[in-house]
Amino acid sequence: MSAIALRGLRKQYPPREAGGEPQQLWRGLDLTVAEGEFVAVEGQSGTGKSTLLHIVGGLDRAYEGEVVVLGEPLRGLSDARLAALRHVHIGFIFQSFNLLGELTALENVLLPDYFGDGVPDAERRAREGLARVGMADKASARPTALSGGERQRVAIARALLARPPLLLADEPTGNLDARTGEGIIGLFRELHRDGITLLVVTHEARVSRAASRVLVLRDGELFPDPRLEGSA
Amino acid sequence: MRPARLWKLANANLSRELGALAVSAGGVALGIGCLVFFLALGRGLQRVVRDVFPVSARELEVVVPQVGVGSLFGEVHLDDAALARLRQIPGVSEAFPRLALRVPAVTRYHGLFFGREIHMGLEVLGIGVSPELFGTDARLPFADAGEGAPIPVVVNRRLLEIYNKVFAPQRGLPQLTDSMLVGFQFPIELGRSYVAAKTLPGTYEAALRLAGFSDRAPLAGLSMPIETIRRINQRFGQDATGYSSVLLRAQRSEQVGEIAASVKRMGFDLDESERNRALQIGAAVELVTLALSLLAALITALAAVNIAQAFHAEVRERTREIGVMRAVGATRGDVATLILAEAAVTGLIGGALGVLLARLGGFLVDRVAHKGLPEFPFKPDSFFDFHPGHVLLGVAIALAAALAGAFFPARSAAALDPARALTES
Repeated sequence: MSAIALRGLRKQYPPREAGGEPQQLWRGLDLTVAEGEFVAVEGQSGTGKSTLLHIVGGLDRAYEGEVVVLGEPLRGLSDARLAALRHVHIGFIFQSFNLLGELTALENVLLPDYFGDGVPDAERRAREGLARVGMADKASARPTALSGGERQRVAIARALLARPPLLLADEPTGNLDARTGEGIIGLFRELHRDGITLLVVTHEARVSRAASRVLVLRDGELFPDPRLEGSA
Repeated sequence: MRPARLWKLANANLSRELGALAVSAGGVALGIGCLVFFLALGRGLQRVVRDVFPVSARELEVVVPQVGVGSLFGEVHLDDAALARLRQIPGVSEAFPRLALRVPAVTRYHGLFFGREIHMGLEVLGIGVSPELFGTDARLPFADAGEGAPIPVVVNRRLLEIYNKVFAPQRGLPQLTDSMLVGFQFPIELGRSYVAAKTLPGTYEAALRLAGFSDRAPLAGLSMPIETIRRINQRFGQDATGYSSVLLRAQRSEQVGEIAASVKRMGFDLDESERNRALQIGAAVELVTLALSLLAALITALAAVNIAQAFHAEVRERTREIGVMRAVGATRGDVATLILAEAAVTGLIGGALGVLLARLGGFLVDRVAHKGLPEFPFKPDSFFDFHPGHVLLGVAIALAAALAGAFFPARSAAALDPARALTES
């Protein structure tokens, strides 16, 4: 079964000027990501990479076409059902980490446990998650006391709390220096080896090199990257 | 969203916005403080009014009309037959006849009065009442003991208050309690008047013995057993068959109106002078309390508007954070609940502070009144009566105001497009 299946995906934005034509972001994207696959999507700014992740994650519902994630057609799902899908089955990682400043690292990792029915055995899992990303000794630290790389590790532990089968990452190394970014990429490789499906949008070749498949979003269409295809 | 987690997240958010929390909760505290303060003041003043004019909502005093068709024809008498008919009015549980002493009387006292030598002469107004009227207020037997025996009297408790607060301080007399006075005997001369300067034939002396104090005794005069008054009136050749008035007690206060109508249909009138005075003063106090409470409610409403503005600003500032929560599984309901929980905490803190402010204000006013105001009859220890219901009402209104203020911000937070929220800078 495919983890993600997109058919004829289009996204329309309002016209820039009153009375103008609506802007079409894509020409109808088709994409299938198999379970356990690590797919990187490259593209320049404004091509809709983040929008693609938001649609796959059920955060953006204003689109045309068909989106099926983990066997669930998103079009017919209620807001609550989409929230439940994100809560249990999808982990998000953002470029700017998006940790809550008032919570400690451990509490940030536990954030998904605050919602819905919570996460079983959440605290133990959170501590294990922090240990896995090398942050066990920083559990009580607040985000302001952490470096960029450390914050991203905490964000990854948060995304993994519910042990989702699908991770969506939006420029995960965009705010990190080269060395720290390598550490994050190494983590992604580990997760890929563990069988988690990863869809990562990036403009960094080093991230794409870790992926099992690389696609380029250009001129409203997805193209395979001939440089790296199948090289992972 | 589980309550413990909700509390933790709300607490974390509030701790970030301590300044805004202080302003929002402070506004609520001011409004609720004023509300509880004025409600307690109104209730305290009502209590004073009840002390000064103790009227029962279940009682009516029936009198013979001074000018009326019935009285002109001599048809209306408050006699035993009329008393029986009054007792049969539906809703009447008890009827207590009263009979005025129809001869003048004076009391003279020369001698020691609780350690002070006094010389006193007073006109006495005597009212005969049924012994059952006072119940346990009469601490000595309250019944006619016949010629030669001391006459038991019951005095309105307010007279003792007036004596202690006005009469005694001005004359250097001792402060007295009802326990000290019960059993005290003083002379009465029946058939004589200082004011009218006349002495009736058959004037004689007797002794009065204080049997107790009661709010149910008429303020002007000394209450004596009705049989004693009848005997004295007969002795001086006065009409001893009728009554001066009859006190009716209703089974329930809401029956009083119907009973009053029945009494008037029978040709009698109602003496409502004291009752009306008490009701008018009580109504004035209620009106002022209501006006001040409305002012306090307005302050609370302004606090709710302030909360709305604060939470709107907070939602704007936390747009991205709300997007993150949606991304990790929060529903629209979770987001709204979180905002409302923060508002609830703000309201509860404001409400609790408001109640404390009101208590503190009441304490200070009482202190100033205690030291600054001269002693006067019925001066209360406290002008405030903080009823637990008012405290609960204050906290509940604070909670409601905060939730009302945060309602629209919570709704707009829940309606945020999570994808757009995540891209907010």
